[in-house]
Amino acid sequence: MKAEASRLNEKSLPVNGRRAQLMGLLRQDVRPNQGQIPAYIFSSPDVYELEMERIFPRCWLLVAHESEIPEPGDYVTRSLGQYPVIVVRGEDGKIRILLNVCRHRGMRVCRTDSGNGADFLCSYHGFNYKNTGELIGVPFEKDSYGGLDKSKYGLLEMKVDSYHGLIFGAAPGREESLNQFLGGMKWYLDLYVKRAKMTVTGPPQRWVVQSNWKLPAENFASDAYHVTNTHACMPSLGLFPNISYAKFGYHIHAGNGHGIGIGTGVPDSPSIWPEALLQQFEKNLSSEQFSILKTVKNAHATVFPNLSFLISSMIYEGQPIYHTTMRLWQPVGCDTIEVVSWVLVEKETPEEWKKKAQRAYIHTFGSSGMLEQDDTENWINVTENSRKVIQFAGVNFNYQMGLGRKPIDSFPGPGEVYECKFHEANARAFYQRWLDLLLRDEVDVST
Amino acid sequence: MSLLELEREVAEFFYREAELLDSNGLEQWLELLTEDVKYEMPVRLTRERGQPDISSQMGHFSEDHRSLELRVKRLGTDFGWAENPLSRTRRFISNIRVENTSKLDEVKARSYFLLYRSRGSSTQVDLISGERQDLLRKLDGRWKLASRLIIVDQAVLGTRNLAIFL
Repeated sequence: MKAEASRLNEKSLPVNGRRAQLMGLLRQDVRPNQGQIPAYIFSSPDVYELEMERIFPRCWLLVAHESEIPEPGDYVTRSLGQYPVIVVRGEDGKIRILLNVCRHRGMRVCRTDSGNGADFLCSYHGFNYKNTGELIGVPFEKDSYGGLDKSKYGLLEMKVDSYHGLIFGAAPGREESLNQFLGGMKWYLDLYVKRAKMTVTGPPQRWVVQSNWKLPAENFASDAYHVTNTHACMPSLGLFPNISYAKFGYHIHAGNGHGIGIGTGVPDSPSIWPEALLQQFEKNLSSEQFSILKTVKNAHATVFPNLSFLISSMIYEGQPIYHTTMRLWQPVGCDTIEVVSWVLVEKETPEEWKKKAQRAYIHTFGSSGMLEQDDTENWINVTENSRKVIQFAGVNFNYQMGLGRKPIDSFPGPGEVYECKFHEANARAFYQRWLDLLLRDEVDVST
Repeated sequence: MSLLELEREVAEFFYREAELLDSNGLEQWLELLTEDVKYEMPVRLTRERGQPDISSQMGHFSEDHRSLELRVKRLGTDFGWAENPLSRTRRFISNIRVENTSKLDEVKARSYFLLYRSRGSSTQVDLISGERQDLLRKLDGRWKLASRLIIVDQAVLGTRNLAIFL
């Protein structure tokens, strides 16, 4: 594996002294409030290990959209942080997140991406689990165990909660509710998932990018600035009016490291929303939310740590078109992510419109998208560079844009709101939240 | 024309196409496509044996002539970062099977592909393999691609982006 070969330091399990040293370095080097982020956090295996221990198990993480599993027995397999899980609608209609690990010898009891079934039969020794997680069958039970208390050996269950179709999971024992975790971000999430009854168009695109997971997460939370250069081809292709459009709008830290950039486009530009949909939105949103959504030309957001959303619009084939995508930056190593990317569409719209929105997505975002192609190129090169500069040697990246600018108080939504999207307050807030979680010693309640 | 001759012509078409795609001949590649070309690459899935494992709902590509042209045009701007510098690619086309259709000027052709992609100084290479199910149409004595369905072999693509064509 590339991640293995590229490690700068001899890899060893962090013994206590080494861990303490790392925490000391992080405390000293990571200074979001001053706009200073050290390069090494984007490729150090030790930092990654700490993240897997202290970031992901301490957050609510998205695993699926309800429209992926509409019927009893429907399931998808996903990762919840590092846990392999099955997200399944049981025969009782209830959605559960089950650890995809047989209680006998740890085999994956479900080895497919998606499907429908009444039970999960482990291929190793044949332990059989109902789609509610209950252990219902053990081969030769009398001859083997002489009777086993099956009620104690159901598939382990993660905490589950949902927000307007988004299914989140958390490690058992986490006390913070999804509601508390999302906090002010709910107001903004509504623009993506509550504006209408939303549905995924199909399974997600999935592809692997040799990037640290934080780079795309911070990009979606915070970075409108890169549009002017990374995506500078767009005006010349007639897809955007002009490149300065990227700066118009609001840059908002919604709390807890969650960030959003709401692009309103060049002043007085026409609405991107079809009239019929605006009526749906008005019904489903508060009047303040609706007043903002009406003006949206694009909106990029990250729910800490690794869930991002985007509404993007452009003039496409002579007509305005927009799409909504939701994606996970699933870490699979210190320098590798799997991107899991869905298209969301309003359920109550003509099929033709849904297809058009999906095509606009495929052409501009996702694995082959004309804009996203250039993003992955950037994130990979930054990750590689962060590995090549001498680890712990004082190479820092600049996150100072907008430092000292005052937030406005006239915006109807919650959080710290700045006018002009060329700003890095959201990235600073992202890394502050990241640092707080990494440095916090807490006893994690295990199952 | 005998089937053998037809197979030979189709193979030559594919080799010519691969040569263009491997040597930055994207604009000439566009000329190999019919105006009404369809170019699709569905997402591949890991499903129970017997269940469809090619998504009918989501794709990596869903293109027509206009969008392919736009993609090529974009790569040629000063801001086509994803393929500037170019990836070094090599397309290996094999297992070509040709089938006549009810139309004299159209053939179905299926082929396997293996694409090797190398970028920068990295010694890690991307390999993408799959089958292409094509419809070729003869226009003014030359074969053109009228439709392509790319059946990729990975459920999770092992390449950073599809700023390349298959």
